[in-house]
Amino acid sequence: MTLRRILIANRGEIAVRVIRTCQRLGIETVLAASEADLDSMAARLADSTICIGPANSSASYLNVEAVVGAAVASKAQAIHPGYGFLSENQKLAAACNHADVIFIGPTVEQLDAVGDKLKARAHAAAAGLLSVPGGEVRSLVEARQFADQIGWPILIKAVGGGGGRGMKQVSDAGKLAEAMELAGAEAQASFGDPRLYIERFVSHGRHIEVQVLGDGENVIHLGTRDCSIQRRYQKLVEEAPAPNISETFREGMHLAAVAFARHLKYRGLGTVEFLVDCDREAFYFLEMNARIQVEHPVTEAICGLDLVEEQIAVAEGRKLRWRQDEVKFFGHAIECRINAEDWERGFCPSPGPVTHAVFPAGQGIRMDTHIQAGSQVPPFYDSLLGKLIIHGTDRKDALRKMRRALASVEIAGVSTNLLMHAELMREKEFARGGVNTAFLGQFLQNRNMEAA
Amino acid sequence: MADIQLLDVSIRDGNQSLWGAIGFTTSQILAIAPVMDRVGFRALDFTSSTHMGVAVRTHKENPWERIRLVRAAMPNTQLQFIGTGLRFISWEGQHPDFMQIVYDRLVANGISRFVVLDPMHDVEALLESARMIRKAGATEIIAALTYTVSDVHDDSFYARLAARVAQSPHVDRAYIKDPSGLLTPERARTLIPAVRAQLGAMPLELHSHCTIGLSPLSYMAAAELGVEVLQVACGPLANGSSLPNAQRVAANLRELGHTVNIDDRALANVADYFAQLTEAENLPAGTPQEYDASFLRHQVAGGVLTTTRRQLAELGLESRFADVMREVVQVRAELGYPIMVTPFPQIVCSQALYNIIGSKRYGNVSDQVIRYVLGKFGRPTVPVDANVKDRILERPRAKELAAEPPPLPPEELRKRFAPGISDDEFLLRAAMPAEEVDAMLAAGPARRHYNPDMQPVFKLLRGLQSRPAASHIVIEKRDFRLELRSSPEREAASA
Repeated sequence: MTLRRILIANRGEIAVRVIRTCQRLGIETVLAASEADLDSMAARLADSTICIGPANSSASYLNVEAVVGAAVASKAQAIHPGYGFLSENQKLAAACNHADVIFIGPTVEQLDAVGDKLKARAHAAAAGLLSVPGGEVRSLVEARQFADQIGWPILIKAVGGGGGRGMKQVSDAGKLAEAMELAGAEAQASFGDPRLYIERFVSHGRHIEVQVLGDGENVIHLGTRDCSIQRRYQKLVEEAPAPNISETFREGMHLAAVAFARHLKYRGLGTVEFLVDCDREAFYFLEMNARIQVEHPVTEAICGLDLVEEQIAVAEGRKLRWRQDEVKFFGHAIECRINAEDWERGFCPSPGPVTHAVFPAGQGIRMDTHIQAGSQVPPFYDSLLGKLIIHGTDRKDALRKMRRALASVEIAGVSTNLLMHAELMREKEFARGGVNTAFLGQFLQNRNMEAA
Repeated sequence: MADIQLLDVSIRDGNQSLWGAIGFTTSQILAIAPVMDRVGFRALDFTSSTHMGVAVRTHKENPWERIRLVRAAMPNTQLQFIGTGLRFISWEGQHPDFMQIVYDRLVANGISRFVVLDPMHDVEALLESARMIRKAGATEIIAALTYTVSDVHDDSFYARLAARVAQSPHVDRAYIKDPSGLLTPERARTLIPAVRAQLGAMPLELHSHCTIGLSPLSYMAAAELGVEVLQVACGPLANGSSLPNAQRVAANLRELGHTVNIDDRALANVADYFAQLTEAENLPAGTPQEYDASFLRHQVAGGVLTTTRRQLAELGLESRFADVMREVVQVRAELGYPIMVTPFPQIVCSQALYNIIGSKRYGNVSDQVIRYVLGKFGRPTVPVDANVKDRILERPRAKELAAEPPPLPPEELRKRFAPGISDDEFLLRAAMPAEEVDAMLAAGPARRHYNPDMQPVFKLLRGLQSRPAASHIVIEKRDFRLELRSSPEREAASA
């Protein structure tokens, strides 16, 4: 089938980005927006906008009935959920099936298989992938025994969660009870599922992920991304391909990711995340994200594909348009997430009106944003203002261009983390490439920006 | 009331009719390809050996790469190649084995629909091409019944042609191809049923140019007479000597009660894009044509008419124009009524000109006319006038041309080029001068992005680049002033 009208159930830069691809493809767009976003850039770019509820996201962007109702009312044939919000929500996918609307994403079963972290670990094992040692814990006693067995420190994670919420690092048995209680409550509040599991904490780990694309039968990979620059499990800088790993090691990750997706007969765009133990040159399956990701533009830069276009093609029921050997990689790409956060005051969110906004343009420079002078940054949602993506002939070239491009970004009215990126890009260790997930914490600590 | 499909010819025939085939780079097509894919066209008339040659020569772009990229950008709509027998890019005939490689590579790169056509109505030649194309793996092969007005081209002539085409297992559909736009609604009402009756279940399409403004009306008649697909063009690539406008045809068909299942919004986007591109690139837009009764007599399209008039003026013989046009009608009859599509109008007109300005008719004869009479373009529809044929073939030049060696088989041709080149490159090298293919390869992959709105800025920047001596540049418009001065140090250094 050919999609002619798509409802975009998201906001911010990703809504703008999906609309742009739809426009290029000649697909009509309907934006489902909350009351706070009716004047947003996405609302002005979309062919039409439907208000799906008040600013509070649980009453709008997280409201399955409102989203599906908007699709039906606007006669949209499909829903693009973007990332975050309902993007990996089985209820939305199921409600779409029921309403005869195409959910641009994987099947309900696949969302279940990867959304539940324990099921995902079982599938990974079945596909021949190693996971970090760990498992579900139902009580404090069980947790303690398990932790002693796999070794301290450990990480407590929510079975139904992702994105760092509900996640706690625990160094010794004395702090376990408190951490479990807190994590359980957070998991219940965020995901409606209090179940927890623990796994070994890998201290010198890198976060490397593989982009995959499947049509329900065939699966290809679109290379690696390194997302090790994280603060409290929130990514701030991503790059593709992952630097300073051997080609055999990289190919091993590619194959593992494809094997996992193939095992699920995966349909759509997804990311298989790995924790890389740098010391041992080993990688462990972490989870699969069954949606488009914030950092997808670095992959687009190096492989030349439009991932939203590929998502739509698969949603239309088409076979993959590219064979693995037709996917060619060129150069290196880096993305900096520019957030409305005051990085000198503990990354405190800084909502409000943007009074001035100038972004760089030019060869190899891409700015994905929904912000312009006069935009509002509402306090209800995440603080992402935009993503600066640089594509260079190699990593050195990309870094050089990134430093220059960052210097020409001008944003006033809200505080941003721009200067943090500028400093990070000048860091010798980062320039060498291949830092681990502890790097950003040390970097911030050295500048007294954050307590240890 | 009928369910009518549309087929778009903008990129191939529209481009050829209005822009001499030099319009459209790969990036200009890629920018709109995904939208065209969503309109719901039956297919796109996409390329020909002429267009592939222009891609290399004019745009320094690889025509095979273009096919692959556009195929990937529009997976749902078939791309059509129109061939004319044993030719590829150059005018010389090619060996059948060579043509088989051409067809194989076209299919491998993404062409699935082919037109088989013989301007001489040589059915054997046409069906042989169809057989080779099927072998290459094409999914849709459509035979052209090339329409013209002459003493021999009556309804029963086309009915016989249709009957033979319908019997071939290698032909899937047929179309009435009216390259000069001669088909009137009245003639459509007898011609189409006569052809339709012979085709059985085989679908019939219509392709009629707007040259004298007849086709928008003939199309409405055709819709009632069992034609399933009407071939159209979009926005500024319609009208003029191109095909009827898709939006107008769709609206008119619906007005008459027919159904046309296309996405009007996407179609409007395509037409708008072509309008922006036409303006940005300073190309002529097609306009609706006035009726010209004399055209039905001589059938010489505007471009060739203009050339003939200019040639006469250069000789100080403008007063003989009417005589030349009368002679055109006569020469065409003597040569067996070649259909007035390229290259025949040029051949017939120049012969008519020689006949009028020379001391006797056929006193001066071009090589092309000799090759035509020798049968190198195929078998004429009716035999060439015996006296004319004798007069032409008794010339010493005719013996030389008759002795031209037959085309080499591909394995022999290959020996002329570096070993190990791909089939795609070999085909281009065999058909084109080496320096043109080298220049194309040196230019690297085609650009992938094009935005008509950006062209004025690029034009400005290119202009500035071409004038390095300019040291003070001011761009001023309402609420905007940009001033650029080269620094004194640089000026001193360059002094």
